[in-house]
Amino acid sequence: MAEMTRRERILRASHKEWADKLPFFHNWRHLQTGWAERECRNRGMGISWARPSYVVKIHDVEITEQQLEVDGQTVYRRTYTTPLGSVYLDERRAPGTGEWHGMRGWRDVTPWQTERLIKGPEDYPVVKYIVEHTEYLPDYFPIEQAKDWLGEEGIVMDIHPHQPMQTLMIDWIGSEGGRFFIHHAKYPDLVEELCQAIAKSREPMYEIAAKSPADIIFCGDNIDGVLVNPRLFEKYFMPEYEKMAKIFHEHGKLLAVHMDGRVGVLKDLIARTPIDIIEALHPPPMGDLPIGEALSLWKDKVIWVGFPGSVYALGPEATKRHALNLLREIVPGERLCIEMSTENIVSNENLLMLTSVLEKAELPLTQEKVDEIERSLGGSS
Amino acid sequence: MSAEKYLQALRESIVSLDFGAVVKAAQGAMAEGIDPNLVINEGMVPGMAIVGEKFERGEYFLSELVVAAEVMKEGLKVVTPYLKGESTQKLGKVVIATVEGDHHDLGKNIVSSLLRVQGFEVIDLGVDVPTEKIIAAVREHQPAILGMSALLTLTMPKMGEVITTLKETSLRGKVKVILGGTPVTDEFAQSIGADHRAVNALEGVKKCVEWVTAQERRN
Repeated sequence: MAEMTRRERILRASHKEWADKLPFFHNWRHLQTGWAERECRNRGMGISWARPSYVVKIHDVEITEQQLEVDGQTVYRRTYTTPLGSVYLDERRAPGTGEWHGMRGWRDVTPWQTERLIKGPEDYPVVKYIVEHTEYLPDYFPIEQAKDWLGEEGIVMDIHPHQPMQTLMIDWIGSEGGRFFIHHAKYPDLVEELCQAIAKSREPMYEIAAKSPADIIFCGDNIDGVLVNPRLFEKYFMPEYEKMAKIFHEHGKLLAVHMDGRVGVLKDLIARTPIDIIEALHPPPMGDLPIGEALSLWKDKVIWVGFPGSVYALGPEATKRHALNLLREIVPGERLCIEMSTENIVSNENLLMLTSVLEKAELPLTQEKVDEIERSLGGSS
Repeated sequence: MSAEKYLQALRESIVSLDFGAVVKAAQGAMAEGIDPNLVINEGMVPGMAIVGEKFERGEYFLSELVVAAEVMKEGLKVVTPYLKGESTQKLGKVVIATVEGDHHDLGKNIVSSLLRVQGFEVIDLGVDVPTEKIIAAVREHQPAILGMSALLTLTMPKMGEVITTLKETSLRGKVKVILGGTPVTDEFAQSIGADHRAVNALEGVKKCVEWVTAQERRN
């Protein structure tokens, strides 16, 4: 049998079928283009690319941006003016923001919002107006272009924003100082009403995604059981995943959701969702749910394992040890992919070390095969 | 209404996360001339303790801890003016910060609130705090404990930088160092020479209480 391409491996595994080798890939946005990245790709590392299938148009809202000095720091203030009033957000941008990809600085950090869009109860009607005047229109060019460029080197996903309640929690109200929870306790009706308005406005986006050229729709929810507790997950998140998955599945698409936090407290609820791919699941020590347990609980799901940044922080030897332990834990390696990093740039040394372990991971994995990989790297097995 | 009924109402308002009820009960207690220290120590603090117990049993989550602390703050706003400069006993000082480059403060803030409830004096330096500012605060306030938080693996090494600087400036032996944040592991904490890595906010606060209590016994 001919060796599978990187794309075939990822898609096979994502459809719960066997690939020839354990698929491993790097996120385009974290990829350190250069000699190490090239070497790793030559040795089997794929690429995942996330691009949107839509463009956003906001009607009857004036949007302006100013550069200001606040407390001696440069902030960028974006003001949205509607017939109901204005709201604004302030953000600090790291050097490099807007100069390479997305809104990330040279060190791969996103802007820090020092003032959120929603500050008090008076902001809710204004934001609701903006939501109700937001239109999503299809634009498949970014995905088609990336697919053309990548070819068999990897996969292109259709990226979606945080789902409605997570948009409020992470983006618009923010969780600093527990602000979202306090708003949710103090102004439950305002939060619920806005959440429903966002959900309604996003429905056309799901339709657009379902017809997009991407095989996988990626919802970047950033689920962490510490922030999103089971009550919130069950009430606000699960119904939205059901709505999304129904449309996507009808068009043969898979739904992937970013869950890189401590999701142990949500594990039984996650099992009940129609999500196909749990993206960026971090095993202990960063996460709190071992991969073996997750696989056995979520029998209808595929896990893309996020390699923990806290292990990378300890250097290549720790990376090797953790990767070998991970392989031992996941034997025989079905329904799995490994992501080199889902949060930050990886050093060349760590990327090469992880590739050295994963490039030899032929499926189905056995303990003997992992021992052999360890021996080949100068280990003791 | 008797004093006990007001105290009960305060406890219940915190446990049920009721902003309106805590203010009403606190105002009522003050109007009745009930000792504000009693209101805090027998009404609000036990209310937070019940919330903590519920958190440990898995009935409440971080969101409830955060909101309960906020509800208590609303009650304290009513009661504090009646304290008339009376000092409450402090367990010790804690300097706490989110390290440079990191802007996450949810965990840090809940730890700060819970430490205050326990009776610590908390000097909260905020987020994105440079190493030199943390060192200066340790030198100035001479806390029993330094707490550092990071949510980004990118900023975790700053915790090591602070500990190294504490050693270089002969301050390390005078302060316990506790770390928190999702990516921070025991292995990492040990590798940089911290005293403890908090599993969660409550566990971290318990460790702080344990440290100062042990210190008091030695004294």
